[in-house]
Amino acid sequence: MMPEIVALLADLEAAGYIAEPSTATALYLARATQKPLLVEGDAGVGKTELAKVLAQLCGTELIRLQCYEGLDVQTALYEWDYPRQMLRLRIADGRGEDATALEARLFSREYLLERPLLRAITHRGGPAVLLIDEIDRADDGFEAFLLELLSDFQVTIPELGTIKAEHPPYVLLTSNRTRELGDALRRRCLYLYLDHPTFEREVRIIRARCPDAGGRLPEQIARFMQSLRARTLVKPPGVAETLDFTRALRLLRQDSLDADVVSQTLGCLLKDRCDLEAFSPADVAALVASSREAPS
Amino acid sequence: MIGGTPASRPLQRGVTGELAPALARFGGTLRASGIGATVRDEIDAIQALKLIDRDDRDEVRTALRIALKIPREAWAAYDRLFSSFWTGADLVEPPELPPPPAPQERRDQPRLLSWDPVRRRLSEPDEDAERPGGTREGTRPAASPQALLRRKAFDASAWTAQEMAAMERLLARLAHRLATCRSRRWVPAVGSPAGGRLDPRRSYRRAVATGGEMLRFARRERAVDEPRLVFLCDTSGSMDAHARFLLMFVLALRRAARRAELFAFNTELVDLGRDVVPGKIRLTLDRIAARVPDWSGGTRLGESLAAFASRHLPRLGGRRTIVVVLSDGLDRGDPAVLAAAVRRIRARVRRLVWLNPLLGDPRYEPVARGMAAALPFIDCFAPAHNLESLERLLPQLVV
Repeated sequence: MMPEIVALLADLEAAGYIAEPSTATALYLARATQKPLLVEGDAGVGKTELAKVLAQLCGTELIRLQCYEGLDVQTALYEWDYPRQMLRLRIADGRGEDATALEARLFSREYLLERPLLRAITHRGGPAVLLIDEIDRADDGFEAFLLELLSDFQVTIPELGTIKAEHPPYVLLTSNRTRELGDALRRRCLYLYLDHPTFEREVRIIRARCPDAGGRLPEQIARFMQSLRARTLVKPPGVAETLDFTRALRLLRQDSLDADVVSQTLGCLLKDRCDLEAFSPADVAALVASSREAPS
Repeated sequence: MIGGTPASRPLQRGVTGELAPALARFGGTLRASGIGATVRDEIDAIQALKLIDRDDRDEVRTALRIALKIPREAWAAYDRLFSSFWTGADLVEPPELPPPPAPQERRDQPRLLSWDPVRRRLSEPDEDAERPGGTREGTRPAASPQALLRRKAFDASAWTAQEMAAMERLLARLAHRLATCRSRRWVPAVGSPAGGRLDPRRSYRRAVATGGEMLRFARRERAVDEPRLVFLCDTSGSMDAHARFLLMFVLALRRAARRAELFAFNTELVDLGRDVVPGKIRLTLDRIAARVPDWSGGTRLGESLAAFASRHLPRLGGRRTIVVVLSDGLDRGDPAVLAAAVRRIRARVRRLVWLNPLLGDPRYEPVARGMAAALPFIDCFAPAHNLESLERLLPQLVV
């Protein structure tokens, strides 16, 4: 393995993100080739968290653009501050200022509202981390617009001219696959698919994130989660759910899995009525019992 | 991975000049197995390989997977192909590079290319337009399923001109009503509507013409967003008499509703979205007949709907999706599979409509095991045996 990847893996772990080697490889390649990284995976496997940790490691700002249906260029890129411009105009009117100077002033950066995408491009002092979250929720028109921005990292504002990024940001896009992304966008990125963690990794995640869960609890929870995910569920629980569950058990002062307590806190893990109905108390008890057994 | 011969490990020669042919070959192998990898991806892959430790098998495998953008579903196939690539197995038997699935698709491409403007002008755009292309290639069997369908679709005066016109009128009305659904997106309002939201950007621009005074405010309103219609059409033997009628209806509908998807199923599910040529119903029927295997064969209703739910539903499902199943519900499979699939579909869409031609018969009761299992999850269970029944269906397609 490349020493850079090993180092990155260790850094991620030190920052509390227990990653697979493939995750570190993807981050390393995306940074080295200056390409956006498209991260896909089930809900709660740590896609957004990855961007946060990356920003923390780079010691830079995380600029986040949450996508939603109806997201437009004015909320994503830039907008002129019209009310302020109008006020300035009225003031100038009373004073009788020079028109040319006033015009230049009104359409300067001072009156430009920078939205996340422009902010990521104009970021000073090193590249920022730009997280474009849940890109699948934006409509395809926005996706096409993004395509242009992500390839050149420059924006043309008619009144100001073209602004080019001094330091192209590290871009992470996440998608929950509620909609198939366009091929053009996918091809422009590197692609990382985050799977649910393996047993060993999940134990380490629980230990890293919930240090007060001591003894055998992390192993038991991880084993319980693995057997839960082995079932066919409408919404398989992710790492986020595991951590919620662990915290809930700690709040209830539990040191090991108990069938009754698990039944009562199952809502931390299964967030679909059909999934909850599929587990009878006897089912849960059997799963808990097998999770409590020490590995042979 | 120590001590292999260079020939068996194509990646380890370390120079770009020799990585390129190796990767081009690997890309070709991937494409031949149905995993899309473009030249651009291969360039990304070369860049990635230059950055990593090329002696580490797992690292090369991961890096190529990332750079070639292999989707999760294709990982198993990718891993298999990568193993033979790594060991150089694909070097030993180059003649086997294009495996069997590819020719089927390739055969269709020249047909599409032959659609140049000149030929379209020379021949009328009806069923004869495609015939020379088909015979010239000589690849299709003489008694092709498309010939079969053509006969079926137009014998016994199944569609008179009057009926066709009636359907067109019907669908035009539907199109009009589909266009009343609003999305969350804001677009500039045309004219001066009372509602909506003020649009400062455009208001200020207008004010320029009146010396900076805002006399007319510009507004924005919600964009019009049609619901997405997804049709799943049963083409098994028991549906034979009805399938062509329903397909015609769906194809005509595609002219009215832009966002309509079409799938056919009997023993397996086929996505027909790309075979539909707007405005050319006969040509489309021909293409569809060629694409659907085992036309008039048996049904595996449950498995087909389950395949739809897992493969296409994540992409097509949503608040504005209406799924219409055209089937008689006669299923050979396990009703539990069907019930589970129908439940999954219902959970992800706005409305689930089931059109059953048998329902047109007043004596019919939905007692077929499959139909009975699916019934609890269906919003609208309606007959579809003639135009009149379809007319009554239209309000169900507007949300």
